[in-house]
Amino acid sequence: MIKIDPIQLARLGSLPIKARVIVEGALSGMHRASVHGSSVEFAEHKEYSPGDELRHVDWKAYAKVDRYYVKQFEQESQLVVYLVLDASASMSFAGGGLRKLEYGGYLLAALAHLVINQQDKVGLVACGDRKLETVVPPRARTNHLHDLLGVLDALIAKGGGGDESIAAALQRIAEMTRRRRALIVIASDLFDAEDQTLEAIAQLRAQRHDVSVLHVLDPHERTFPYDGLTQFESLETSHKLLVNPVAIKKDYLERMEAFLARCSTQLAAAGVDYHLAMTDQPLETTLLELLVARSRLGPGRRAS
Amino acid sequence: MGFLAPFMLVGVIGLAVPIAIHLIGRRRAKIVKFAALDFLLATKRRTARRLRLRERLLLLVRALACAVVALALAKPYTSCERKGPQVTRGPQAAVLVVDDSFASGYLVDGKAWIKRAGDEARRILTQLGPEAEVAIVRASEGADHPTELTRDHLRLRDQLLALEPSSRPADTTRALARAAQLLAASSHARKTVYLMSLLANTGFRPDDPPWGKEGPAIVVLDLRPPKTPNLAVTALRVDAEPSAGSRGVAFDAEVGNFSDAPAKVELSLAIADRVVARGNLELRPGERKTKRFLAALPAGVRSTDAQVSLAGDALSLDDRRWVRASLRDQVRVLLVDGDPKTVRRDDEVFYVEAALRPGDRDDSGTSVRVIQAEELSALDPAKSKTALDLNEFDVVVLANVAALPVDRVAALAAWVRAGGGILVAPGDRVDPAAYDRTMLPLLPQSLSDPIDTTWGASPEDRDSRALHLVKWEADHPIFAPFSKDGTELAAAKFFKISLLGPTTATQDRKVLARFTNGAAALVEASIGAGRTLLFTSTLDRDWNDLPIQTGFLPLMQQAMRHLARKHAVGTDSDHVVGSSVVLPTGDLKRIEVRGPDGLGAVFEGDRIAGRSLVRFGKTDRPGIYKVIGTDQTNNTHERDELDFVVNLDPHGSDLTPAPATALPASGSSAGTETSDNTRRVELWHALAAAVLLLLLAEGVLVQR
Repeated sequence: MIKIDPIQLARLGSLPIKARVIVEGALSGMHRASVHGSSVEFAEHKEYSPGDELRHVDWKAYAKVDRYYVKQFEQESQLVVYLVLDASASMSFAGGGLRKLEYGGYLLAALAHLVINQQDKVGLVACGDRKLETVVPPRARTNHLHDLLGVLDALIAKGGGGDESIAAALQRIAEMTRRRRALIVIASDLFDAEDQTLEAIAQLRAQRHDVSVLHVLDPHERTFPYDGLTQFESLETSHKLLVNPVAIKKDYLERMEAFLARCSTQLAAAGVDYHLAMTDQPLETTLLELLVARSRLGPGRRAS
Repeated sequence: MGFLAPFMLVGVIGLAVPIAIHLIGRRRAKIVKFAALDFLLATKRRTARRLRLRERLLLLVRALACAVVALALAKPYTSCERKGPQVTRGPQAAVLVVDDSFASGYLVDGKAWIKRAGDEARRILTQLGPEAEVAIVRASEGADHPTELTRDHLRLRDQLLALEPSSRPADTTRALARAAQLLAASSHARKTVYLMSLLANTGFRPDDPPWGKEGPAIVVLDLRPPKTPNLAVTALRVDAEPSAGSRGVAFDAEVGNFSDAPAKVELSLAIADRVVARGNLELRPGERKTKRFLAALPAGVRSTDAQVSLAGDALSLDDRRWVRASLRDQVRVLLVDGDPKTVRRDDEVFYVEAALRPGDRDDSGTSVRVIQAEELSALDPAKSKTALDLNEFDVVVLANVAALPVDRVAALAAWVRAGGGILVAPGDRVDPAAYDRTMLPLLPQSLSDPIDTTWGASPEDRDSRALHLVKWEADHPIFAPFSKDGTELAAAKFFKISLLGPTTATQDRKVLARFTNGAAALVEASIGAGRTLLFTSTLDRDWNDLPIQTGFLPLMQQAMRHLARKHAVGTDSDHVVGSSVVLPTGDLKRIEVRGPDGLGAVFEGDRIAGRSLVRFGKTDRPGIYKVIGTDQTNNTHERDELDFVVNLDPHGSDLTPAPATALPASGSSAGTETSDNTRRVELWHALAAAVLLLLLAEGVLVQR
């Protein structure tokens, strides 16, 4: 597998190219793609009984064994994937590498590329600014990929804004997908003052959606490498804090680790596929981890 | 408070430096847009108060450090009253006179005064500096004094640490005189005596000042407690007390109240370490009173130790006193009956024997043997197989004995010269002329013919013409039991007495009593180491009625004891601490003396050989000194009869302060000293220490 530094990747051309590079980088590390090209797969034969649809009778089998068998399939519909990007202001933080928004956006673009290639439907929901919510409905056409990536590119270029929790966006997705299960991939730092995000994710899972969370964090947020008198300013609010970082580093790190442990534990308990994605980690590595984890979940957990 | 370098106070402006840094630092803080600010805020909320406090403390500590550095550089100082004497450091000669009399054991706040004096002396020694030549002179009577000044301050310091109260009274004047001698030998210009004393008046001799005008400077340290009340047992005597039984003794303990307040004293008497009596005394300020205890010595012992003590006060050393109490030794008396009669009461020695052995009891203190005059021939072993050994007797009484042959008189005279005692009383069988021929070696005066005052008188006039004893030596031991005008003797009627002729070759002749006509009644004289008494009337009722008077018994008892030289039962005044005790060696070839603390001396070999007396001088502690003797047969045993007690010199118990005039004035050898009684205390040392502490605190705060 070729690993590309996220910063180097950001210098590549348009988003479609970046998405393709990420996908190819990720797939080159796999012996066999765990994602198949069709969304309708043969599962087994069943002896015909009255009431079965005639169009599913396997005539070739009848010719061989002179008995009626009916084909049964695992999934009878297209995979619908919702990509949820947290575009709040907190995602604009960059400790020295990519902004979290960029990192999450590139990952979702790569996923969109993969899904369209599989001829499945993919949509995009971006949240953060209450007034300017971006929703791209799921489609499976190739042109749709360009539209989606264009929207995504615009979001990344614009940068994060607002302080809306993704919990609200997730609730809207839940309403949109009420009658059909979907794969929902969330890229967010999960910073939520009201702590509703984890509950909303768990609720999606409770509706039998397949949920994957890419928890995007900057390395500075985990190591807190600051010293000297520093004034920290909030990205989402007007809060400021003048402090000697050394004095509070220990306490901060303890709180951060407790937060990560809480996210991991609660989401795992809810059956959510959770991945911690540090922005200094190669994007294809993160993508590959996601794909491998999803393949390990098996067909039963794949979205119907 | 003042400053030696006030311009350095400008540095206090430095106080503004940490404040400015603090404020500027806030403005120049880095700005970081941070996503997880909620975590920081939560953290900050928890630690905000602590951090704010720490920040403020840091600011305060840094500001203080800057200010204190400037203050320290300005060298602040303050002035205060001198505590203690002004001691100048540098080359000089000094003598520390420290009172180590037994009074220095006076407890002040639970600590012996001498420890306080020692502390003060060490402080002065430190202040004098290593260049000073110093000596320590102890101010107790008889204390050993140093011979020169020294710079070995370590040894001096050890001496001061080892100071303990002695058992002797203070002799401050002698100590000061010795200090002046030591300083006079020094070539230093500055010569000072530092006196650390309780300043008891008894330690000074105003008529014998320690130095004249050329003396050293003297610095008297005021270490005396404001008040020094003291109670002491100042004397203890013991005497036989017949009223308390045959073993009865009376202890007279004198207690002194050396304070300006009345005191109640609880006394106890212990015999052989067992308390046998208690008593109370109430004493006015400065009063001395005697308390009498009556007690009986334990059965089976003839002598023992006794101690009277009072309930402890601040000075415990003088709260007790010892005495050696002994029952009278038996006086062995040989009564030579010159006119024996078959009727007992007509016998010449009937009344004497009865007086010497009242009730014929063994505990009368006298053993009596009666012989007739003829039996004295036994003095010559050649004429008698049962030779009479006069050495078995202390006293010989010749009662109406006719003049003895020369050889017997010679034997008796030799015995008297060796220490014996003889009483001669005339009677009808005594021929003065015959006495003149042979008996003079035994008599203080020759005898003349007797006179009968009732000759020719009618029976009615007989009594009126009788003579009486009118003058006697009341201070003489024989008459000690009698008052000067006591009727015990004055009532006796003498009808016939012997007159005396010329004096003999005896020494120290003295008439102890006379009759109303002026004639001598009792004459005493010394013969060698012995004594002779001549009574000029009879010892029975032939010439007088003295034997039936109440005074006869004590008169005879006292006379026998006087002649036998066995008087007082015991007295405490025999030995005070520091005095020498003379011990007879007898037939002992080794004598060991053990003091109260177990230490003593051993006399053996050349120290005792050929000597009849040895002198023991290590009486450094009050208490009982035991004597253990080894005789020629190597038999070692305790010699109770030689045991003795040593007591404190009571005049050291009076702690009345000496008047200022008793203290010697500084002589002309005194160095020039400033009279300024204030001293400067520089504070910058403390401020420097404060800076160090502040910097340490700053370091700790920064690390937290």
